[in-house]
Amino acid sequence: MKKINKYIIGVALATLGLSACKTDFLDRQPQTSIGTDNFFNNEQDLKLYITRLYNFPGTGIYNADGGTDNSPTTGVLEIKTMMVGLPSASNITTGWNWDRLRSVNYFLDNFRKASLGPEVLNHYEGLARFFRAQFYVEKVKRFSDVPFYDKTIGTNDNDLLLKPRDPRSLVVTKIMEDFAFAAQNVRETAESGAINRAIVKAYQAKFALYEGTYRRYHSELELASTAPQFLQLARDVSREIMTGGKYRLYSTGNPNQDYLNLFIQPNLSGNPEILLAVYNESGIRNSGWSETVFGNFEVSPARDLLQDYLMKDGSYYSSQAGYETFPFVKEFENRDPRLSQTYAYPGFNLLNVRTYSQNGGLYVQQLAKNQSGYHQIKGFVNDPSTAAMQTVDVPILRYAEILLTFAESKAELGELTQSDLDQSINLIRNRVGMPAMLISPMIDPVQNEKFPGVSGAQRAAILEIRRERRIELALEGYRFDDIMRWNAGKLLEKPQEGIYFSGLGKHDLTGDGVPDIILLSSSESIPVVKEKNTLGKDLIYYRAGTFGQDVGVFLKNGNSGTVQTTVQNGKFMEPKFYYRPVPQAQVQLNPNLKQIFGW
Amino acid sequence: MVSDPQAILVFKYIGYIPQEVAVGGRKTVNVILKADQSDLNEVVVVGYGTQKKVNLSGAVDQINAKALASRPVANVAQGLQGLVPNLNIDFASGAPGATAKINIRGITSINGGDPLILIDNIPSNATELNRLASQDIENISVIKDASASAIYGARASFGVILIKTKSGSQDGVAVSYSNFLSMNKPTVIPDKITDPYIYSRLLELSTNNTPWDNVNYSDQFYQYAKERSDDPTIPGVRINPSDAKLWEYMGNSDWTRYFMNDQTYSQDHALSVSGKSDKTQYYISGNYNKQNGVLKIADDYFDRYSFRSKVNYQVAPWLSFGNNTLLTATRRENPSQYSITGIYNLFPTDFDKNPDGTWANNSVGRTGAQLTEGGTASDKFFSLQTQFNGEASLFKNMLKLNADFTYRRGADNYDEYTLPYKIGFGPSDVREEGNSYARKWTSFDDYTVLNTYLTFNESLGKHNFTALAGYNQEYFRNEVNDTRRTNLISASYPTVGLATGELSSTQVINDWAVQGLFFRLNYIFNDKYIVEFNGRYDGSSRFPSDKRWGFFPSASAAWRIDQEAFMDGLRPVVSNFKLRASYGSLGNQSTSNYGYISTFSPSRSGYLIGGSLPLTVTTPGLVSADYTWEKVNTANLGTDLGLFNNKLNFTFDIYERNTKGMLANGRDLPDVIGATEPRENAADLRNRGWELSLAYQTSFKTAKDPINVSARFLLSDSRSVITRFENPNNSLTQYRKGMELGEIWGLHSNGLFQTQAEINALDQTSIVPWGALSIVPGWPKYIDRDGNGKIETGLTADNAQDLAIIGNSSPRFRFGLDLNASWKGFDVRAFFQGVAKRDYYPLDYLYWGFYQQPYAGGYAHLLDFYRPNGDSPTDIAKHSQSYINAGLANSNHDARYPILQSWLADVNLGTNVRDAKGLAIPQTGYMLNGAYLRLKNVTIGYTLPASITKKWHISNLRFYVSGENIYEWSALKKFYDPESVNVNDVLNPQATNTNRPGNGYAYPWQRRFSVGLNLNF
Repeated sequence: MKKINKYIIGVALATLGLSACKTDFLDRQPQTSIGTDNFFNNEQDLKLYITRLYNFPGTGIYNADGGTDNSPTTGVLEIKTMMVGLPSASNITTGWNWDRLRSVNYFLDNFRKASLGPEVLNHYEGLARFFRAQFYVEKVKRFSDVPFYDKTIGTNDNDLLLKPRDPRSLVVTKIMEDFAFAAQNVRETAESGAINRAIVKAYQAKFALYEGTYRRYHSELELASTAPQFLQLARDVSREIMTGGKYRLYSTGNPNQDYLNLFIQPNLSGNPEILLAVYNESGIRNSGWSETVFGNFEVSPARDLLQDYLMKDGSYYSSQAGYETFPFVKEFENRDPRLSQTYAYPGFNLLNVRTYSQNGGLYVQQLAKNQSGYHQIKGFVNDPSTAAMQTVDVPILRYAEILLTFAESKAELGELTQSDLDQSINLIRNRVGMPAMLISPMIDPVQNEKFPGVSGAQRAAILEIRRERRIELALEGYRFDDIMRWNAGKLLEKPQEGIYFSGLGKHDLTGDGVPDIILLSSSESIPVVKEKNTLGKDLIYYRAGTFGQDVGVFLKNGNSGTVQTTVQNGKFMEPKFYYRPVPQAQVQLNPNLKQIFGW
Repeated sequence: MVSDPQAILVFKYIGYIPQEVAVGGRKTVNVILKADQSDLNEVVVVGYGTQKKVNLSGAVDQINAKALASRPVANVAQGLQGLVPNLNIDFASGAPGATAKINIRGITSINGGDPLILIDNIPSNATELNRLASQDIENISVIKDASASAIYGARASFGVILIKTKSGSQDGVAVSYSNFLSMNKPTVIPDKITDPYIYSRLLELSTNNTPWDNVNYSDQFYQYAKERSDDPTIPGVRINPSDAKLWEYMGNSDWTRYFMNDQTYSQDHALSVSGKSDKTQYYISGNYNKQNGVLKIADDYFDRYSFRSKVNYQVAPWLSFGNNTLLTATRRENPSQYSITGIYNLFPTDFDKNPDGTWANNSVGRTGAQLTEGGTASDKFFSLQTQFNGEASLFKNMLKLNADFTYRRGADNYDEYTLPYKIGFGPSDVREEGNSYARKWTSFDDYTVLNTYLTFNESLGKHNFTALAGYNQEYFRNEVNDTRRTNLISASYPTVGLATGELSSTQVINDWAVQGLFFRLNYIFNDKYIVEFNGRYDGSSRFPSDKRWGFFPSASAAWRIDQEAFMDGLRPVVSNFKLRASYGSLGNQSTSNYGYISTFSPSRSGYLIGGSLPLTVTTPGLVSADYTWEKVNTANLGTDLGLFNNKLNFTFDIYERNTKGMLANGRDLPDVIGATEPRENAADLRNRGWELSLAYQTSFKTAKDPINVSARFLLSDSRSVITRFENPNNSLTQYRKGMELGEIWGLHSNGLFQTQAEINALDQTSIVPWGALSIVPGWPKYIDRDGNGKIETGLTADNAQDLAIIGNSSPRFRFGLDLNASWKGFDVRAFFQGVAKRDYYPLDYLYWGFYQQPYAGGYAHLLDFYRPNGDSPTDIAKHSQSYINAGLANSNHDARYPILQSWLADVNLGTNVRDAKGLAIPQTGYMLNGAYLRLKNVTIGYTLPASITKKWHISNLRFYVSGENIYEWSALKKFYDPESVNVNDVLNPQATNTNRPGNGYAYPWQRRFSVGLNLNF
């Protein structure tokens, strides 16, 4: 009996061991991610993948003019670093990232595995090529010449890995091919927030205008003769969108409110002006809206921008005698209504005090060192509720921009007519109750000085269209690219200034004629008991002085003049600073990547 | 009564050397037994069996339960720290329930690789070790070389820790109870600047000196700061004089101390019942442990319940069955919005509460509100593990067949929710902030282990053979479900089911399996010559099917020289002398579960499309076909020496470990590839080191009772060098051949610039952070090693320009010193532990304060910064007295720290050689000595005389008081706990990890003062 027991147990244990010795015991496959063989089978798969490529800005656009002549910033900014520092390929190293391109090309290499009809496949190919075009647009903007790849690169593809830069003209041709394909094949309609054909076309026109004007004004490229073809494309594509009739400017007939309201909507879906918005819903996708839009954090709007707004009657602000020394309140009198829908105006009532500035209620512009003293209300949710702030949608492509693109491309082509203006710029002006622009405006000497490079028959119109573009799209993140394509980098050298103060003493900032603040000299000290104004409110005290002094606000002359924001803006080296170097470490890995334009 | 005068009495007692005494007609015989210090006949647990320590041919250490039991540690790993040479145990934080990082013999592979931990033959990890009650442990073996670990194959290449739990061993019933209560306080909390005027002035100054100049306090603010600094009795909150609707704050506190308790309590209770009858052995135990965390204003604790039941039944003389079941439940509670970093970074000028009792409108108020009202997180872990085992002895014990099967189920239930909280903005302006959500995170483990093995043992005269062969298979599956939903309906029911907002849910499943056939052959001749072969044929699911299996052999030999005839004369001096040698080749499968399979992973889109966030997938990464085990070849030479009847024992081992074919990201490819380089078996590493232990034991006679004294000293070292890596340019941002791991490339400091002329003479512009700070007098100045008039950081080792290796962050010469003495019922133990050599270059706020960025604290040591000029009388008139008293209004040219420039030490630019700028580049002037010596433990115990306790039917009763982490000697102590930088071990030169662990940002370490008792019936 015992022996048998032993035998049975021995065999049992041995079998247990051996039976487990199957080969598939060690075959373990991922169960919550999808193997490459099992994907791109149906339209759902294509959609899952393509959606990942979405990449659009958010509320950050309202701070994105920082560092341009539209607004000073105390933030760390590449262009500022370049202008005041000693930039080189070892310290200017961002932007050389290629992951998105691989994602797009991976799709294009594989998506045709799905047995779907040509319409479906072409739609998705169009979307992918749209994203590739977007990718290369950003690369061309920074580096001009970049290696072009239309397939994924393997680790052993040395000819691709070690490829030199392709010339800008080739890369741009490829971008335009991608855009053209997408504009032909992407479906006309899509869910809100998704890419449709009009969005593709808008980006196509946007880049065509960029490239056309860039080539015209950047002689270092030696491509000026090719500019018209891009300008024509910009013209034609924007006209297609305009004649398509799907979009129009948002207006409820209230010129003093409509423009402002466009940027603080809880839901832009269905808004006739919006081609593309980034939608937000508190708790699901928070807008990321931050209190920095209004306050004295890093960015504040500049006086230079404020002076570009026309008078309400359409005349130039600069044509007023003594405009350079107008006090704050007077600056807002009889101006283009968009000014008071972009800047906090005298009499503005601050409800949302969760900002980087103090004081609620009737707002007294708070001054601070390195800030202009002006405050931005475009894109500012003047509502203290967190939900309201987090729900605000962000317009990314507005119909107004299409109209501006149309007008600018026409003017650059020298074929702008009054009728063109009436179909474009004048619609924009009309919304805010501004008089129409005429085909041959008088030249504004201020504008003239800013853009000496503009020539040709319609020079005056171009200057005014540039003004209109600056005003309409102010503080939405367009200014930097515009300055670059217009070859106007020198504008960045001018120090950004703020409110003008005639001298020390009391000043009215709310427009009621009663002083709100008092400026002391740098050697005076602020009394413990504050003087009250005739309304019974304490005056707000600041000590004024120049950079380096321990004061509350910097004035140009120490005790008078414009508010100063930066010690030095540095030097914009032309043409070098229109481009960025290829990071040094990448040149080391691929010595065929040569630096251009003095880098 | 012994009547025969020729009679010989033999005195034996466990742990003492037996003594024979001739009676010689005496009526009373006094015998003093000598303690057997050698432990040579001790049986050591090795893989799938046991061996006598004296017959070991590999490098194996054994720790007895005594070493753990006498000291109040909540976690076994805490108790093991410093007890075995080259068993390196570090903690990443002092948090309750923190898991140890356990390593044997230093850097193993660039991919990591931990020792294999087996608890009663079941593979486990450091977290499971944390769940083990230390009272249940009988002994622990640490296998360091390849010979003894080869039997575990591909997971044992970096050593094995074998833990055996207690079994019933005494006849009858034995009951044991022990407990301790401890009071804990943080070891080191950074020394912050708390004076509001000094803090604000310096913060503003630090940004004034930069182009960004973004901190600009108003005159009103400074006035308040000065008043509050001069007279701290003025309230820290008031109605804002320029806006009566808002509060204005001026705190003057170290808020870290406000949120962290100076005294917390822990307790531990353990009870066991064990025993043995002729056929049954049993051991049943229960343990409760609770550790309170440092958080003062909300629940923050860890507690653990564990129960073990172990029974063994002898079915027949040749057959026994047993079961070993363990049940553990742990719970970690803390607020859901709890960030240690956030608490360290609070501004002293912030304030906690408004006069109306609401939380203040600043970071301190928000932190307080989040911690108390903002919701909680509760992590409840439960595990049940049961093992059935059987043993059959066949052919008169010549052949033994063992089998065991284990199943473990682990369930982790993590519940987290947040709630909106209220912040008082002004006297009648209280607002709700924050969102509410509930999250349910669960993780389930299923784990099965099967072992069967056959052991043959036979002695024929002077020959002793042991052979063992067996089979092992394991399967592990983990499933994580994570569900989160926003907008709770009610704060009282914070569950996913009672929320109405966006629902997001993810599921991740991971599994792996291993199979192996193993053997051991051991031959001993005449107790003198020992030869052993171990090997394993091992397969793992983590590699492609054609590269899945590997054979891992080892061989070892030992020579017991003391047994040789020619040693006879020396025996009174040399009581034990053995030489050992071993060599083996093992695998390392420490890599991801499906690393060779390219997949799309699901993720949620960041954009609302059609009103919701759609599902998307990621792009598959690059994978390589060249993907298999890392191979680890280890050679070991060792000796054991016992002198003077083993009063003095000496063990020394020297080894070389070559890790071949480490999975690495291959060649550094141009970024245009658009993906991380695929991992291939592309790199080799060599690790060399040694370890020694020296133990001395003696007893002194005194008038009545002897004083027993013992001391044990351990010292070990290891260094690792990359021996192969595809890096043809010797780039410094990649591993490279010849690189010693841990090496710190940096600049040689040459003090601070004093004049503009000095600045003009040396071009340092290439190391300016953000390319934008101004180099002014007071800026750090460096030695121009290549003499080209410029300070530059080269990118390759061949052309490093002004960079040089200025230190090494690897801990070297780790040591431990354990001193014990006992007299009568008293026992005293003092235990020191430390690292003798290590360089640490500080980064981030806790050292650099304002120099990092202007968004977190300033520290007292930074007050000695360079000030070019003294302040004017007008400015001085504005300063607080504290500012003037601190000398801050005066110039300071002979300063320890540079001119106060924010971003000068900005770690956010990156930490690798390519990205680091300014003071984030390591430099000799601020390199810290990371060595430390810590008085880890002092315990004083008293055991009541048996004569008293017997009356109460108590066999043993001991009381003790104990202190843990009592004192330390270290240069780091001024800034943070010296152990907190031990986990600062980012080895990859490519890593530009800006918030890497170990920069002091850790849950504070604790000093513990305990009282406890051990009671046995």
